Amino acid sequence: RRASGGQKGREQQQLFDSALLQFLVCPLSKKPLRYEESTNELINQELGIAYPITDGIPNMIPQAARMIDRKIQDEESKKT
Amino acid sequence: SVYHVFESVAKKYDIMNDSMSLGIHRLWKDTLLHQMNPYPGTQLLDVAGGTETNAGDIAFRFINYIRSQWDHQIRQKLKSHQNLSWQEISKSYQQEENELPGGSQVVVCDINKEMLKIGKQKAQHLGYSEGLSWVVGNAEELPFIDNKFDVYTIAFGIRNVTHIDQALQEAYRVLKPGGRFLCLEFSQVNNPLISRLYDLYSFQVIPVLGEIIAGDWKSYQYLVESIRCFPAQEEFKAMIEDTGFLKVEYQNLTSGIVAIHSGFKL
Repeated sequence: RRASGGQKGREQQQLFDSALLQFLVCPLSKKPLRYEESTNELINQELGIAYPITDGIPNMIPQAARMIDRKIQDEESKKT
Repeated sequence: SVYHVFESVAKKYDIMNDSMSLGIHRLWKDTLLHQMNPYPGTQLLDVAGGTETNAGDIAFRFINYIRSQWDHQIRQKLKSHQNLSWQEISKSYQQEENELPGGSQVVVCDINKEMLKIGKQKAQHLGYSEGLSWVVGNAEELPFIDNKFDVYTIAFGIRNVTHIDQALQEAYRVLKPGGRFLCLEFSQVNNPLISRLYDLYSFQVIPVLGEIIAGDWKSYQYLVESIRCFPAQEEFKAMIEDTGFLKVEYQNLTSGIVAIHSGFKL
């Protein structure tokens, strides 16, 4: 149930409770998010933005989000 | 800016809160919980949860209330000699370890991530961890699905929101049908004598106290101004009604220094 943060970041960041994904959405589109374990972010794939998680607390302020590189996004969608 | 004000007063806010309101702010929050009267199973969203030292005040009170309700239910059953099996008894103890009674959940949402971090640490120290989540978010643009929560609370936070109508609309959106909106906020004093004393107090005494205790006169002046600018009871009631809430009521506390506004999504 709880998503792991990886060995490296375990001391710094607390675990993100993925149960939150049941009702947590992008504040802009109100659509579901995906938890990306490698970067510890919540991804809105459609809009190409990523919200950071710090100390297990998701930051859902649009200004805090970063744009996901379009090129990487295209490559990843080709893989799947 | 609002953020600067909070940053600069945060560390001494608890002392200020107590001296400004003579400790009464604790009673105000207790009253909010009694009005809410939540039962085990209630899903609560507490927005704009306060400052670093107030972080989680409403959430912790809610959890205490639910737990004591649950204990009361168990004791009532025992008293009336209802057949409470060993399974039921052990289950009631188990629930306290893994989750809140009845599957209650609390989400605390605030724009200030430092506040939430401190709130989360506080929660862990005090033994409130299960069923409690912390999310950085904007009251005007909430990161939650529609129709999720039974109760939405905003205590001493709405007067700092830039677009109050947007915050109200978001509150409406995330509440379940039948859900309740509760706002605890500074309001307009209804008694002329108390009003004069309060004016004196807020414009003369508080900034001076602010300077002595927090060393930040300007921030406290800002706070006092924001209280003054906030709509009075009837006007705020109308705003809540305009959003679509029904059975909108308010209760004055301490001669209207503070009011609790309530509305339902029906």
